[in-house]
Amino acid sequence: TAGLPAALPSLSLELTVLYNALLFAVSESDGLVEGEAERISHGLIRVLEACGVSGQDLSTEELWQKVLQDVTAEEMRAPLHRLGALQGAVWLAANCLGSVTALFRLLSGTKVMLGALYRLLALLKAWSVPAEGDASPLVVQSTKDLKEILWTSAAFLQGLQGLEAGNLSAALSLLQEAAAGFCSKRVLAQIYTCIGCCTQQMGKPQMALQHLKRALQVDFQCLSALSQAAAVYRQLGETDAELDALALLYKALETPAQEAVSIDPCFLIRTELLVHTPALASLFSRSHPSEVKYSLAQRCLQAGRVGQAVEHYLDLLALLQEGPQHQVPLHGRSALPRTPEVFLEAASALEQHGRHQDAIAVCEEIIGRTGDLIPETLRIEWSCGAGGEVTGILPQERESLRCVVWRAAAYLHQGRAWTGLGDSKEAITHFTRCLNVLLRVQLVSTGTVQPARPPTTLPAWEGPPWGWLVLLQGSEPGKHRQGNGWQCLGD
Amino acid sequence: MAHLGHRVDYLAGFCCPVGGLAAGKPRVLCHENEIYLSNSSEFVYVYDQEGKLLKTIYKFPDQVWHVELLPFRRQLYILCARNGIYCISLDQQSRLMKQTDGEEGACPSSVFPIDSDACIFPDAALCAFTLLNDIVVTLSQAQGKWWLKLHEFLDPEQESLPCRQISQVGFSTCDQTGDEGNALSSRFLPVLCCASSPGGAGPEEGLWCSGGFVLEEPLFSLLFGIDAAMLNSPMLLCGFPDGQLCCVPLKALSSSEADDDCSDVAGQDPPMKVLHHLEEPVVFIGALRTEHRALDDADDPQLFGDSGCDCLVAVGHCGKMVAMKADRREEAKIPEVREYYLQGPILCAACGGGSRMYYSTHSDISAVDLDWVSNASDPESVDNSAYVLPPVLSPASLSICSVVALSLSSRASEGDSELLALSAKGRLMSCDLCSPDEGHPASLTPERADQRIKELLSGIGNVSERVSFLKKAVDQKNRALTSLNQVLNVSAALLSNLDGQRPLACTITASWSRLLLRDTLTVSCLLENSSDCTLEQGWTLCIQLFTSPCALDEDPAESATTYTFPIAQLLPGSKREVTLPLGSAEGTKLELPLTISCALYYSLREILDSASDSYESLDDLLPDDSPGLSPDKEGICLPLSECTIDILQCLRLEDSTVPGAAPSIATPSDPLETFLKAARGQPDPSHEDVRDSLLPKALDTLGDTCLPPSVASIKVASELLKNALKNFSEETPLCCAALQWLLAENAAVAALRSQDVSAVRGLAPDGGEVQLLVREVAVDSLCPAGPIQAVEILIQSPSLADMCRVHQAVIRRIQTLVLEQAAQGSGPPDLRMQYLNQIQANHEMLLKDVQSLRDRLCLGEEAGTTAEKLLDVYRQLRNPSLILL
Repeated sequence: TAGLPAALPSLSLELTVLYNALLFAVSESDGLVEGEAERISHGLIRVLEACGVSGQDLSTEELWQKVLQDVTAEEMRAPLHRLGALQGAVWLAANCLGSVTALFRLLSGTKVMLGALYRLLALLKAWSVPAEGDASPLVVQSTKDLKEILWTSAAFLQGLQGLEAGNLSAALSLLQEAAAGFCSKRVLAQIYTCIGCCTQQMGKPQMALQHLKRALQVDFQCLSALSQAAAVYRQLGETDAELDALALLYKALETPAQEAVSIDPCFLIRTELLVHTPALASLFSRSHPSEVKYSLAQRCLQAGRVGQAVEHYLDLLALLQEGPQHQVPLHGRSALPRTPEVFLEAASALEQHGRHQDAIAVCEEIIGRTGDLIPETLRIEWSCGAGGEVTGILPQERESLRCVVWRAAAYLHQGRAWTGLGDSKEAITHFTRCLNVLLRVQLVSTGTVQPARPPTTLPAWEGPPWGWLVLLQGSEPGKHRQGNGWQCLGD
Repeated sequence: MAHLGHRVDYLAGFCCPVGGLAAGKPRVLCHENEIYLSNSSEFVYVYDQEGKLLKTIYKFPDQVWHVELLPFRRQLYILCARNGIYCISLDQQSRLMKQTDGEEGACPSSVFPIDSDACIFPDAALCAFTLLNDIVVTLSQAQGKWWLKLHEFLDPEQESLPCRQISQVGFSTCDQTGDEGNALSSRFLPVLCCASSPGGAGPEEGLWCSGGFVLEEPLFSLLFGIDAAMLNSPMLLCGFPDGQLCCVPLKALSSSEADDDCSDVAGQDPPMKVLHHLEEPVVFIGALRTEHRALDDADDPQLFGDSGCDCLVAVGHCGKMVAMKADRREEAKIPEVREYYLQGPILCAACGGGSRMYYSTHSDISAVDLDWVSNASDPESVDNSAYVLPPVLSPASLSICSVVALSLSSRASEGDSELLALSAKGRLMSCDLCSPDEGHPASLTPERADQRIKELLSGIGNVSERVSFLKKAVDQKNRALTSLNQVLNVSAALLSNLDGQRPLACTITASWSRLLLRDTLTVSCLLENSSDCTLEQGWTLCIQLFTSPCALDEDPAESATTYTFPIAQLLPGSKREVTLPLGSAEGTKLELPLTISCALYYSLREILDSASDSYESLDDLLPDDSPGLSPDKEGICLPLSECTIDILQCLRLEDSTVPGAAPSIATPSDPLETFLKAARGQPDPSHEDVRDSLLPKALDTLGDTCLPPSVASIKVASELLKNALKNFSEETPLCCAALQWLLAENAAVAALRSQDVSAVRGLAPDGGEVQLLVREVAVDSLCPAGPIQAVEILIQSPSLADMCRVHQAVIRRIQTLVLEQAAQGSGPPDLRMQYLNQIQANHEMLLKDVQSLRDRLCLGEEAGTTAEKLLDVYRQLRNPSLILL
């Protein structure tokens, strides 16, 4: 029809065809593709052409305003509202809440005097979908269904935004509205998980647990509900339950993810397609089994369950060194620390468990790997910035320093293990090696340090590097990661 | 450049395309006694080195881009362009072959077509892949990004699918999207290989077969980080056509956001790391063992097997090479990275376990040795603390040219001993790299003599191929020089004879011919080579048509059309005629007069291209800074001739010309009559063309079609004409001679010549009728001496435009005639100046009238009558008509 001049009698059919085509395009591409906005605008321009009004050079928002104000023909009402619903979906997917609100104010023809958060939902509720006549062309998804989905998505999206902004009570009520809406089980589980997050942050852990449980009841694949539950249990101090949750999570991650549940072909536009924000993605990203195993091991060690911790750490080391079938997250946002630190923690657990020889073997691995990476003397020039932070250390030097600390810590653990074995000669040898490694570092302050404000974060750094030992001794193995003082350097 | 001692054996010849094989995609692999070869066609060959015969040929649906072998599974993996990866089990195929070949050994080879069942990765976007035990890593390009995907082979007996995807990571190299159309980048495929740490490798043989290697510590940790080393993760190395050398740990092949939509936003730090940027397409990644192992190490087979290479190298297409090696000095624990510049373009390269890397260019295979300490003449003098990479490389030549695929045979148990090479002509050869000092036996036993003869023969074969290649290159350059010489000869001949008889001439004539049942006016250009040089291929005849802007045209934009005709060969003394249709009688309007200019053009690009076919780039022949030869406008343009085609040449004369009898030419009719006719309004469709006439548009309203025929007359003194037309025979009356002279360039003039006519009627190209009448008159009242004998040329046409065109054409001829006469110095007779002055004054008055009438016309007042008056004034202006003395 694009080649024909726009005429009112055929436009109703034309807009319906456009609506159906766009629905399929969205469904096919599994997300809202670019160019839909233009196709809708084009349709609107043709409507205006048919009425003898020029619609060129207007933004989509202005086009809608003009079309809905100028086109009063009754037969155009249903197709235009249908297209409006689709436009709302497109804008919602792009997080353009302002445009959506303005559009539905026009479509519903009411003025709602509510706060910004509830305005859109009220407008959606007030919008009466024009009845489809018997003779009107068939559509693949009715406007009524689309309205329901829009309502759920708008509530979910705004709830997420409230959660992100820290506006917890509003977020809670919006998410509860969304949970009452029309959506798939997977989305419902996500909404419940978000409610769980929200209530946890509001200081209502029991309520959070209730919602997380419901999320899992609705969809067991919603694994982030499980990890959230573990966090809540940790907050409550219920270590058993927390470890159970983590173990369950690990088991679930071990089995390959089941593919998405079959999609009802009647619902081409779904809430999943409309709600996607970075916050949601990070909340529901699938964690790696190794990350879960690590937190399981670490929590056991921190809770004093050394035996269990050792088992988990050994599992973890095996997992890390297995073939490439088991992928390990090495990127910056991973929950796993750097690999030598995992080894050090494992050594610490083994040592506490009395498996001194094993601890020595694990430490040997670190010592062997770092040997070639540390120069004889590591001379580092550094300075203190105005805020007391350390500056002027190159990334290369930072990495060398880290190797120094890992190696020294490994020797320290070996010394302890030999002490545990009762071989004080070996122990002294390893403690000496530990010191020798640390003595390789020469820190040179480049004089930008202002005498009036000595660096507060690194008190032990001035003078001979005896402070390093203090640093290491202070880090009771397993209680927290090696080199905490270190991290203020690293960050 | 040093020469290495070696022996070359020809093993087999394979088909190759006309221009020779292009580098990049052909591949030679060797395992035990079998050589697996693909020559970028759709075939993969299996050659038995022991039996010296071709065992099997596999045929794939498309070009084969890459072949890898998994020795312990006895499987061959083939990347087929636009299809995906195919897997062939070698055992199965040999069984199959035995079944089909009843007679053993009778047929050396049979072609097995591979069907799509064997395709284990159907993915049309795949660019490269590599194998690591049970893992396949693929690199594909989609949605403007590169995608690295990790797949695991599954047990075919238990699972329905041959493999399962473990993870994937997408990333974009910086200039990848911008360079989509870049020819250099798109010609190259990315290079993918796998580097293992000493502990993390599986069976070394498999790694080696698929181009992978083991990098020893501390280089591995220094290059890839301690995490990859402690995870025992092999590293994937990718060399991209844009020059980036990237690495990613195989165990961490997942971006931070697994497969979310938001990976573009958040996935800023994929585990991908850029090791180096070569700034030219990467053609090879390999590793070398540059330091000799300590003796005690060598005794220990365990240690010996475990330690790998200590130097990573990558080579770019244009010759840039980068080597990375751990710096042994104590102060800094960083890898030493050194760039070298080899002579490119590099087609392929290979390294084995030793310290030598072999690379092939168009003209030679060279070996570079990165173990400079043991090669140095005095090892003692080399400072031990600077024990890193050599500062410069000295390539040693193997004298084997244009090899497109290289492989070091894995048959050799230790070191580099045999090099397999596939030449651009499709020949597979093996080059023995053992040092020649192994034995020059004093006495030749028959066996040794046999061997020696074989060696010599293959040496001759090798030299002959090299000679033929070089000969070809020399021939091409000679040809280019010859053509350049000829071009210069032709140019000199043409440019030195600017006025006189040109050795190359182009004659342009217009004539009517019947094409496709329509009468068409065609222009034919006859190029005549009267010089003594041949116009070779590469010359082009350019014919440019300009429609000269009519002074009366409202839009005087000059338009030009250019036709080019390549000249295949024009020998001295031969002619070549080309014809162009100008327009048919009924077709589009023809704007006359037309100016046609002919020129010869020679594209230098032509020479350069023929001299540098697929092997060499243009830059080899011409340095970049050669002045005035930018690649866009290289060429020589020699103008030949220019001529004007006017209506007199295009008139179609009618046969009805009555010889001798003057046709009735209406005298200018009474204006009143004209007006009355116009008022009656008789449309006459044949006179449409008056529209592009002298008159402003308002005349259209008058119904200009019913105007009486326009008449113009030109009088030329008989004396003048007689002088000019001396070469016409005496018998011809002056009038007839004048008419023949006017129509001299018309194709139909021959008919006139035999008939002695003084009037003709003809059709203009657009169909309008034109009459020409030449008669002798006496002009009095002009000269005091009495009446002057003159020739009057009367032009009459119902179409004002045609009349004007003819008038213009006649004037143009007379103009040249007068100019020639004036040059001969004949002075005009005495004239009555007063009379002339009066005529001029009258004309000026009339011109003023014209101006005012035109102004009124523009204002649109009483258009009809004003136009009528205007025409009348024009008519008066033409009377008395032009007299030329």
